[in-house]
Amino acid sequence: MDDERIARLLRGYRLPEVSPDLDHRVLTEGAAIMERARLRGAVEDVGRSLLHQLGFGYLAWLIDLVTTTDAEYRVELI
Amino acid sequence: MIRGESEAFAELYQKYRARLHQYALSLIRSRMEAEDVVHDVFVGLAKQASGGRVPREPSAYLYGSVRNRCVDRRRRKPALSLDDVDLDLIVAPPGDEERIELRRLLNRALLALPAEQAEVVVLRTWHDLEFAAIAAMQGTSVNTALSRYQYGLSKLRKELGVHG
Repeated sequence: MDDERIARLLRGYRLPEVSPDLDHRVLTEGAAIMERARLRGAVEDVGRSLLHQLGFGYLAWLIDLVTTTDAEYRVELI
Repeated sequence: MIRGESEAFAELYQKYRARLHQYALSLIRSRMEAEDVVHDVFVGLAKQASGGRVPREPSAYLYGSVRNRCVDRRRRKPALSLDDVDLDLIVAPPGDEERIELRRLLNRALLALPAEQAEVVVLRTWHDLEFAAIAAMQGTSVNTALSRYQYGLSKLRKELGVHG
């Protein structure tokens, strides 16, 4: 038997089954994480549009600036 | 996959679940730990995506994450001896008498290969990854990855020759 034949033989095998429990865990947790992100995004959009309507659009800009800028933390020993 | 798209997440999971599970099994040789690794990798991806940080190449990200987590777990735990390992890396298609007959032998021979050779054989044979991609994952040259594949196949062939 040469290498090509053994490679062909191997390729004909299938992958082992994934347990339904793993599918359930991953899909449930993944969907929950995505849903929380969607809700968070929707709340942020409402808040932003409210600030604009009240004439505080600059606050939304300021919040975006602060939350998307990497912060630097430092612990000082006294 | 963009922020909040759970359908895209589910599709990505369906596409890679069996392959990543087999890859993790081949690296870590424990069914329970392989499932934990696949779970943690996909939950990590969901968290990243929900924060708007989607990997540019999901395939490379997923394979790399599975590998890193398995290597990390392997470091913390001594490897089981072959006699203590009871898992299937391959499944014979129903009705395929030749493969059904050889499955046990090949499965054991695959598990007996040195880890880096088994990894290349698995990734090349069932995951269709190019040698360049495998070499990048193993942090080695394409020639080394190719040699590992050839040595691996040669050992499997010898094993079949002895018992076949």
